[in-house]
Amino acid sequence: MGLENFAYSQTIGIASFLGRGFMNPVDMRLDSKGILFVLSRSNAGNKDVRISVQTLESDYMYEFGRWGTDPGQTTQPTAIVLDSDDRVFVTDEFMHNVSIFDREGKFIERWGEFGSGDGQFNRPSGMAMDSEGNIQIVDHLNARVQKFSPDGRFISSFGTFGTGDGEFNFPWGISLDAEDGIWIADWRNDRVQRFTPDGEFVSVLGSSGSGDGEFDRPSGVHVSAEGTLYVADWRNDRVQVFGADGGHSETLVGDATLSKWCQEFLDVNPEQASWREGAGLFEQEKKFWRPSAIETNDDGLVLIADSCRHRIQIYQRTAVMASV
Amino acid sequence: MTTVARKHQDVAVMAHLLRRAGFGATRDQIDQYVARGYEETVEDLLNPVAARPEDQDLMDRYFIASVEARSVGHADPQWSWRLATTTKPLEEKIALFWHSLLAVGGIKLDHGLEMLTEIDLFRRLGLGSFRTLLFEISRNPGMMYWLDNQNSHKGAPNENYGRELLELFSMGIDELGEGAYTEDDVKAAARAFTGWASKPTPPPFFLGPFPMEFRFDKADHDNDDKLFLGETGNFDGGDIIDIIVTKRATARFVAMRLYLFFVSDEPDNAEIERLSDIFQETDGDIRAILRSLFNSDHFKSESVRFRKVKSPAELVFGAARLADRFDIPDMDSSTLANQAMFMGQHLLNPPGVEGWHEGEEWVDSGSLIERINFAASELGRTDSTGIQRMIELVEYAGEGVGPEEFVEACLDAMGSIDLGSGSKAVLVEHAAQNGPDTPGALDGGERIVEMFQLIVSTPDYQYC
Repeated sequence: MGLENFAYSQTIGIASFLGRGFMNPVDMRLDSKGILFVLSRSNAGNKDVRISVQTLESDYMYEFGRWGTDPGQTTQPTAIVLDSDDRVFVTDEFMHNVSIFDREGKFIERWGEFGSGDGQFNRPSGMAMDSEGNIQIVDHLNARVQKFSPDGRFISSFGTFGTGDGEFNFPWGISLDAEDGIWIADWRNDRVQRFTPDGEFVSVLGSSGSGDGEFDRPSGVHVSAEGTLYVADWRNDRVQVFGADGGHSETLVGDATLSKWCQEFLDVNPEQASWREGAGLFEQEKKFWRPSAIETNDDGLVLIADSCRHRIQIYQRTAVMASV
Repeated sequence: MTTVARKHQDVAVMAHLLRRAGFGATRDQIDQYVARGYEETVEDLLNPVAARPEDQDLMDRYFIASVEARSVGHADPQWSWRLATTTKPLEEKIALFWHSLLAVGGIKLDHGLEMLTEIDLFRRLGLGSFRTLLFEISRNPGMMYWLDNQNSHKGAPNENYGRELLELFSMGIDELGEGAYTEDDVKAAARAFTGWASKPTPPPFFLGPFPMEFRFDKADHDNDDKLFLGETGNFDGGDIIDIIVTKRATARFVAMRLYLFFVSDEPDNAEIERLSDIFQETDGDIRAILRSLFNSDHFKSESVRFRKVKSPAELVFGAARLADRFDIPDMDSSTLANQAMFMGQHLLNPPGVEGWHEGEEWVDSGSLIERINFAASELGRTDSTGIQRMIELVEYAGEGVGPEEFVEACLDAMGSIDLGSGSKAVLVEHAAQNGPDTPGALDGGERIVEMFQLIVSTPDYQYC
């Protein structure tokens, strides 16, 4: 069945341990100029983590934040966000901190430490910037969301462990809507929760399962500028889209074609191309495998981090849906 | 026997069972199992509740690269976590057993995802029918690739799988290199398995690996009659396995390997013949064989306790489980398999189709240092739940007890383990010279932890 409100556009990426390409991308953000910053989580034991920078035309630019615990390095990075000055914030759940780089990848500073007190972290994950430049950070093993000023000063927090309204069980992704309302992928509760900018519970969406509007460990959540809600339904290997009143609108399961980088790889490795042709798994190649994060831009592009296929699948929104 | 002596013996036998059917147990766990009863515990171990592990989602979240493990190294965090934390220890132990017996190695099949799939097959089928297990491993795409069966064609059979199936997986050869089968049987088996192969998958170099699948190519299968072990027919691979599992040589081969893995590095022929009988009486029911093995007086006897050299996996995961320091997957848990590799057992990557040579061959001067250093490090983790509890147990035994009682209390707290008289005497002497009243000596918990670390540094600790 074809897509109703989207058209598949293109794919960026190739599995790569360094330089051009990604290794298990778990998050991504566009900067103010439309340049794509992708966070490769990889396997910390294999030390292939990094933030790589490229255009939407697949022109690779540079990378930074490679593996390590020294300032300017990351070990188990979980999320990335850019502020209005295009400074790059990266959470790290091994070091329990946030590292900050300039747009070119030069390390600026880092803050945060292990603990459960105000301003401390136990495996920080998703991040989002509010309209005032403050940062909301999902502090997932502390089952809360903490708000910080741009320089890392603790402002407030909300949330506790549990399954009730406003409670969290291993939350992961976060997104803020146009009014700074907070949306959280409450990962192990298989739901998305909505809060006011001050952390007051508003509503809950979804339950465990694989039907429309149900989730199996939702990882990423994203509210686009026009108010469409996207949820990376991680273990169902799909992205669900929701419109007005949280109603399920559409499900994306992956439509990838070969990226420019993959095509170039196969062009210069004809034996690999022949191997691929012999396997003939072209339909399987298209599908998401653990999609983890979503990003959109004002042109209606929807980018999806396809973590276990080492790529970003990009769709074009073709219809404007009612906002959530 | 007095009540106290009876209880002491119950604890010792239960600890022995849990070292062999698992990776050892904490002192509190042993008490719980003793309260449950020995035969009941054997049944619990043999019949783990089948369920998707509740923490699989956590493993996948924290080690996303292991979900699509492209290599053995990427797959390590998954099995390490399961070995370090499982509540179904025999399920993992039997997976280790079959992993070495029906060995597929990452050196050729560098496909971590498929290796994990195979380990899961061993978990699911490893305690059931040997016939089913042998059939399913013969349909395992990784095995087919590993032993070249995709190159075995009608009219041009590759004998590799047929040969290893008979020699290394089922009937075996004797000390003179003779099997209960002939070269013609190998050729017939190879013909019967023509057309059994793995489906091709895209190369992993641009989108990562794809799950492997079995494929039977009917057009590439030899449909002519074959003469195999005295029987003639248009046999396929399943028929070959049906014949193999009825043979006494197969029963004896499997019984021998189970005995060497679970009981002693030195075979006991009478016990192996008894277990072989059970194999044949039950159509190769591994659970029935192990039930009889674990409940036998032979297994419970002191003569086989601490007579098996711990494999690196037993040593690493036994110590890690004793320390009980993993609530949630982390970098440390993900690298435990590396520790076993440093000691000579690279999990998911056995050195060849023969698996690992076990017993005394596990230990040389280099691996011994690795073993001692790792175990001492784990037992020194005073921030871990398990070590804190062990310290408490020694302290409960009484402040100011004599050196002999102190050493015994430490051994008991570590899961009712025992040492030879020589090693024990050295430790008692050390404890006497460094007692709580000795000027400058360690005190309290530090003294206890030091004794734990000395215990794991003895040659005796290398045995289970």
